[in-house]
Amino acid sequence: MSARSGNGPGILFDRVDLTLGRTAILERVSLSVAPGAVHAVVGPNGGGKSSLIRALLGQAPHRGTIRLDWPGDGPGTVAYVPQAVEFDRGLPLTVEDFLAVLCQRRPAFLGPDRRLGYGEALARVGMAGKGRRRFGALSGGERQRVLLAQALIPAPDLIILDEPMTALDEAGVAIFESLLAGLTAAGTTILWVEHDLAQVRRLATRVSGLNRRVLFDGPPADMLSPEQVLDLFSAVPRRKAEAEASRPAARRMAS
Amino acid sequence: MSFETLRALIQGWAGAGLLPAGLTHGFLVNALLSGLVIGPVLGGLGTLVVTKRLAFFSEAVGHAALTGVAIGILVGEPYTGPYASLFGYCLLFALLVNYTRNRSNLTSDTLIGVFLSVSLALGASLLLILASRVNIHILENVLFGSVLTVDDRDLTVLLVVALGVTALMLPLFNRLLLASFNPALARVRGVPVKGLDYLFIVLVTVVTVASVKIIGAILVGALLVIPAAAARVVATSLRGFFLLSVAFASVAAVAGILLPVQLALPVPSGGAIILAAGLLFLGALLARFVTRGEEG
Ligand SMILES: Nc1ncnc2c1ncn2[C@@H]1O[C@H](COP(=O)(O)OP(=O)(O)OP(=O)(O)O)[C@@H](O)[C@H]1O
Ligand SMILES: [Mg+2]
Repeated sequence: MSARSGNGPGILFDRVDLTLGRTAILERVSLSVAPGAVHAVVGPNGGGKSSLIRALLGQAPHRGTIRLDWPGDGPGTVAYVPQAVEFDRGLPLTVEDFLAVLCQRRPAFLGPDRRLGYGEALARVGMAGKGRRRFGALSGGERQRVLLAQALIPAPDLIILDEPMTALDEAGVAIFESLLAGLTAAGTTILWVEHDLAQVRRLATRVSGLNRRVLFDGPPADMLSPEQVLDLFSAVPRRKAEAEASRPAARRMAS
Repeated sequence: MSFETLRALIQGWAGAGLLPAGLTHGFLVNALLSGLVIGPVLGGLGTLVVTKRLAFFSEAVGHAALTGVAIGILVGEPYTGPYASLFGYCLLFALLVNYTRNRSNLTSDTLIGVFLSVSLALGASLLLILASRVNIHILENVLFGSVLTVDDRDLTVLLVVALGVTALMLPLFNRLLLASFNPALARVRGVPVKGLDYLFIVLVTVVTVASVKIIGAILVGALLVIPAAAARVVATSLRGFFLLSVAFASVAAVAGILLPVQLALPVPSGGAIILAAGLLFLGALLARFVTRGEEG
């Protein structure tokens, strides 16, 4: 499969509000994601990162504008790696079956459509030869890798990752890194929600801090300074941050 | 080819000793044909019912058929096949359950429990009011199935439903499954999750109603559940799951129709079919215990 080059879209969030029930989850979120960027979104639990993704996917009733600017004449391929799949572990479903259900039209019980390259996608995430394993019997990290593999079929122009590294071991992290490199080389735009700030510092080209509002937005080297991070992970930005400067969690995140 | 020629053909083979002698009887040929038509469809659809956790729902829709029949008799449809009321009421029931489930914070088992009881109460009350008008055997047929009274009209309904459901289920199989794995991921891949939800409910309902004549209102939901459950117990891949479920449902349907006649047992067809499915399920469980021990 040849990856088209430079077909990643730009994304514009303009004053996006999201309120569920009585709770404001996103408030006046304005962000722009450049075509081909590795744009990380960081923030505390409940900060609205997954909600931002749901709004982008058109699955949350937001106000404001979210616009995808595609370079070609039509929209390209969007891939999504969810934070988790709720899954009935006893289901008789192999890894290949799972990919087939996601990626092909031909009923998955007739077997995988070899032309779609499930084998290569699994190889790219270090799961070569594990296509016949039962999906429900995989470890958390293995399942995470399969979720990454499905996002590669067909080759994406925009890939949206919701904490893809949570269960990955060191080899998994290396694989993720080479995946990012490959996708970037193909011109894919990458929107990446991540809580591991060290990885963001290493791999992202831009980072936004999100805790209901956008607290900062810029290159990781400048943005992930200890104060910024402290702001982000404390409940009330700035003023309280001083008082809470001794919070161990925040300090660990910042270091 | 009309049912008439097909029936003559099978009766001919039975007369020549190629098939069980019972099949020289036209009514038994009809019964066998209906089992062969609906068995595989119930088995195939059942894999989705089990995966999407709609077992209780499909039981409930079957029970709603009882009320549908009562309404049919009330409005003067023929006792032997009040299809308009059956389809109408059961579809209304199913869509109402699904609609309410999407708009309440109740889990679906609670909600189905409520709808099922109310619907049964309505059906039972109607039947008691109608008691003077109906023969008690009609009630027995509705409850437990009467495959030996299947006529060409019933066969036509079965065939149309079976073909229609298959034509929709096969191309949409992956999407129906994906919608229940992860709706967000499904939507990204262009699956209209809500729409398919409703479509699937309609498919289950239509197949259920078409099978009431053979299996009966009490047990019809079970043939969507037991073969798929048995297949799930022993299968290791989706292919095995689907094919075994189709095979189990077909075998149960055919065995449940032919065996009581061959053995001259006074068992209603629905009961025999579900007993056969139950035996297959038991066998599947045993096979699993023997081959895999207690790994859960
Ligand atoms: N359907 C909903 N109704 C009401 N509130 C919701 C709903 N979904 C999410 N929320 C709230 O929105 C807030 C943001 O949730 P979200 O899942 O976007 O956080 P997150 O940044 O992804 O967190 P995490 O790091 O834990 O994944 C949370 O406080 C959550 O309770
Ligand atoms: Mg999240």
